[in-house]
Amino acid sequence: MTSSRTHASRRSLLQGLGAAAVGISFGGLSACSQGASSSGGEGNKLNFYNWDTYIGTNTLADFKKAAGIDVNMSIFATNDELFAKMKTGNSGFDVIVPSNDFVERLSQADLLLPLDHAKLPNLKNIDPAFLDVAYDQGRKWSAPYTWLVLGIGYRKSKMPAGFKPDSWKYLFDSDQFKGKIAVLSEAGDMIRLGAKYLGHSVNGLDQATIDKVTEMLIRQKPNIKAFHEDDGQDMLLAKDVDLVLEYNGDIAQAKAEDDDIDFIIPKEGSQLNSDNWCIPKDSARPENAHRFINYMMDAQASKHIFETILYPTTNAAAKALMPDSYKNNPIIFPSAEELARCEYAAFDAAKAQVYEDAMTKIKAA
Amino acid sequence: MSDAATIKVTPAKKERPGPLDYMRRWPIQAWLVAVTIFLYAPLISLMVFSFNDSKRNVVWQGFTLKYYEKALTNASLIEAFSNSLVIALCSTILSVIVGAMAAIALWRFRFPGRTAFDAGMAIPIVVPEICMGVGMLVFFAKIFPWPQGLPWPLNLGAIIIAHVSFSFPFVAVVVRARLASFNRELEEAAKDLGASEWRTLMDVLVPHIQPSLIAGALLAFTLSLDDFVITFFTSGPDTVTFPVKIYSMVRFSVTPEVNAASTILIVVTVLLTFLALKFQGTSALTAGHGPEKK
Amino acid sequence: MEQSWRQAKGLFAALMSAPLVWLVFFFFVPLGIVWLYSFGENRGLIDIAFTGTWSNYAKALEPLYLGIFAKSLWVAALTTFLCVVIGFPVALAITFAPDKWKPWLLLLVMLPFWTNLLIRTYALIAVLRSEGYVNQTYRFLWEHASGLMTLIGLQPLGTFQPLELLYNNFAVVLGLVYVHLPFMILPLYSTLDRLDRSLLEASLDLGAGHIRTMFSIVIPLAGAGIASGVLITFIPALGAYLTPDLLGGTDSQMIANVIESQFKRANNWPFGAALCFILVYLTFIGIAIQGLLDSSAKKRGMA
Repeated sequence: MTSSRTHASRRSLLQGLGAAAVGISFGGLSACSQGASSSGGEGNKLNFYNWDTYIGTNTLADFKKAAGIDVNMSIFATNDELFAKMKTGNSGFDVIVPSNDFVERLSQADLLLPLDHAKLPNLKNIDPAFLDVAYDQGRKWSAPYTWLVLGIGYRKSKMPAGFKPDSWKYLFDSDQFKGKIAVLSEAGDMIRLGAKYLGHSVNGLDQATIDKVTEMLIRQKPNIKAFHEDDGQDMLLAKDVDLVLEYNGDIAQAKAEDDDIDFIIPKEGSQLNSDNWCIPKDSARPENAHRFINYMMDAQASKHIFETILYPTTNAAAKALMPDSYKNNPIIFPSAEELARCEYAAFDAAKAQVYEDAMTKIKAA
Repeated sequence: MSDAATIKVTPAKKERPGPLDYMRRWPIQAWLVAVTIFLYAPLISLMVFSFNDSKRNVVWQGFTLKYYEKALTNASLIEAFSNSLVIALCSTILSVIVGAMAAIALWRFRFPGRTAFDAGMAIPIVVPEICMGVGMLVFFAKIFPWPQGLPWPLNLGAIIIAHVSFSFPFVAVVVRARLASFNRELEEAAKDLGASEWRTLMDVLVPHIQPSLIAGALLAFTLSLDDFVITFFTSGPDTVTFPVKIYSMVRFSVTPEVNAASTILIVVTVLLTFLALKFQGTSALTAGHGPEKK
Repeated sequence: MEQSWRQAKGLFAALMSAPLVWLVFFFFVPLGIVWLYSFGENRGLIDIAFTGTWSNYAKALEPLYLGIFAKSLWVAALTTFLCVVIGFPVALAITFAPDKWKPWLLLLVMLPFWTNLLIRTYALIAVLRSEGYVNQTYRFLWEHASGLMTLIGLQPLGTFQPLELLYNNFAVVLGLVYVHLPFMILPLYSTLDRLDRSLLEASLDLGAGHIRTMFSIVIPLAGAGIASGVLITFIPALGAYLTPDLLGGTDSQMIANVIESQFKRANNWPFGAALCFILVYLTFIGIAIQGLLDSSAKKRGMA
């Protein structure tokens, strides 16, 4: 799903891994781990599959100090790649970070291990709003990490005076910003948000609605500059376009570099997105995985992570510890009433193909 | 390069300045300069932006070396790069051996199924990467599970195997081209003089094809070092490679750190190649493609 | 001249064993799985049943996908054509350059090829974007209205407007040419280098101009090299997905993009496999045509 991460976090990554990484690259030859005892029978190792630069500067080193477990982090770039690797089993990973719809997809495909809440006391730190979610009721399969919302990032100086692009109309159904628009290339998001603009929910779309959205987007195509691969904030910063469909976290980072940029959640409402901690069913180290996830939800550890990655957190205890510039940032944390108009997209096995075919049709038109 | 004067001064061995000396004609020179600009402008922009004191590739903000410092101290980047190098070295050696064996067998022998084998060798060159990537993913998950948790570099085995699969046919193509110019009578002579088949192969044939082995190795090395799709599908928890790392770093935002790492790589590659050319003599690179020296 | 395998069974077995085992076990088996998928159907989210159905191929041959195939073929063909036009003079220049320059000139062509494809593509974006180098240069030239010859050969257009060099089909073709040019130059060079120069000299001596000599002597003689360059440029260009993804506009989708999305987001491996294998079958047809060209060239005694 998401996004650009700051290079600050990248530096952090290397510092965080620091000396440990040298040991990792030589396959645990550095057996001289100085930490506390590890869980019985699982060794002191954990294979963690994460987005790039999506963890705190010293988080993995701190965890090693606290739990004596060496975390070996690998990285993936899209949920699809994650799913493809999980699909055949035997992936070797112990903790993964799928987005909400992929939590559903993975759990429906019986690829996840149910979480043992008794081993995750730090769930108490999580904002209750994120514990009771439609995509994983009772949080059986996943623990919350970050969340995001889609909206319109725009260049203020290129808007008419006093104007805010407060409707999906400017992206999907208007030639007012002809040639200055970039939208996502992701099929499901595009069709669902198109439906949202037409007054539907993002879920339970019927074929007639999907067709209508498809036609609308084909009509709109001449006004659109590109379907971007989630690098819309770069296009906005480079002044290639003036309006982009992007995640709030990405636009917040872009705004930090260029104050002429702003973000708005359209009045029709939008789609929420959330990344979660999960344990694959075939994990060889479920005990270590639980300890790791629990540690990630610790208030201090979580604060450290979000200081680095600057994404919206689901961790209320950590948020309380953060500086005002983060917790009162209207892009990172939009108002409750704005969020009330947004929903999570449920995974629908049959629809994935329909959306993909529709998008292929739009791009080929 | 397009300094015509140098040619006159250079004592020409075979090329006399003559009607065919196209390098001395200005339209060709202009064309070469234009193509060079086309090929190098992006690389130069990349190098310039690696010194840019900004997070993005967009506007020049000032000179800095901090991204070099970052790239050089980025342990995970360096780990990924050392993985890539080991994979490329191992798969290059294996590809050259297997590819040369295939080329020699195809050149030397008549045997039933030769045409089929020949055609089969062409398939790895033409199959779309994602198709092969998924095939390898299923293969290593279901049919031939590569043990996990092996010590480095054995854990890279699955990736190395996959890389050899798509590189050795390229080596075979290059080696066969070279074999076509081999005078079989030399081989006969060696045998008449009492050399065994094996000695003939190693002492007569292999030295002859050596330039193509170098060219094939270069090709295999390049293919392996740059592969993302197939590597991604065959890599496991401990095996992030440079392209996989770059891919996930760059996919969402290109930072000067990536540019710095690439610049270092370009400089290292150029230096290594220059050294190799100095050691090997300049014929090494051309001989794989060039004509027989008369 | 070739030996029958019976004459040296030991050596033959030694030479064939490794390539054959490797090809069959580590290539045909993995590829065979995907080929079987193309006749299968999804059962649930992770299982694929081999039902022997042709429905994936039937779907792949629907007008929507045929149109995308046609467009991809056209883009790949245009890319290949431009690579020939741009690469031929370069290969010619290298061929007739002094011997000691050749390796360095070849290196000059190969070097960009050794930088990661993704990094090169992003570098190209930085050059082409509205405030990238090309447009900055253009603007500089325009605003100073100097008599300098524009390095990039572009005509002034009136009031300054940044050139739209990105996010359209032009950008895709440019990107593909950029990426595939070395594929074309190397085989061209390798053929031209073997040409009998006396033929060219004879043509020039007999009063034919350089251009005429090119078209009536060099190009026919280099036919096989051009054909192999065409093939190894065309095939990867047809399978390109990163370039259209990153440089393309709203209508730049190519078949490899569709294949990728079927394998990934749509989770429809059988359909993705069918699209892949249509590409493989098409390539075989291409190779067969090249084989015919080669053998007819041989008949004329030119190869």
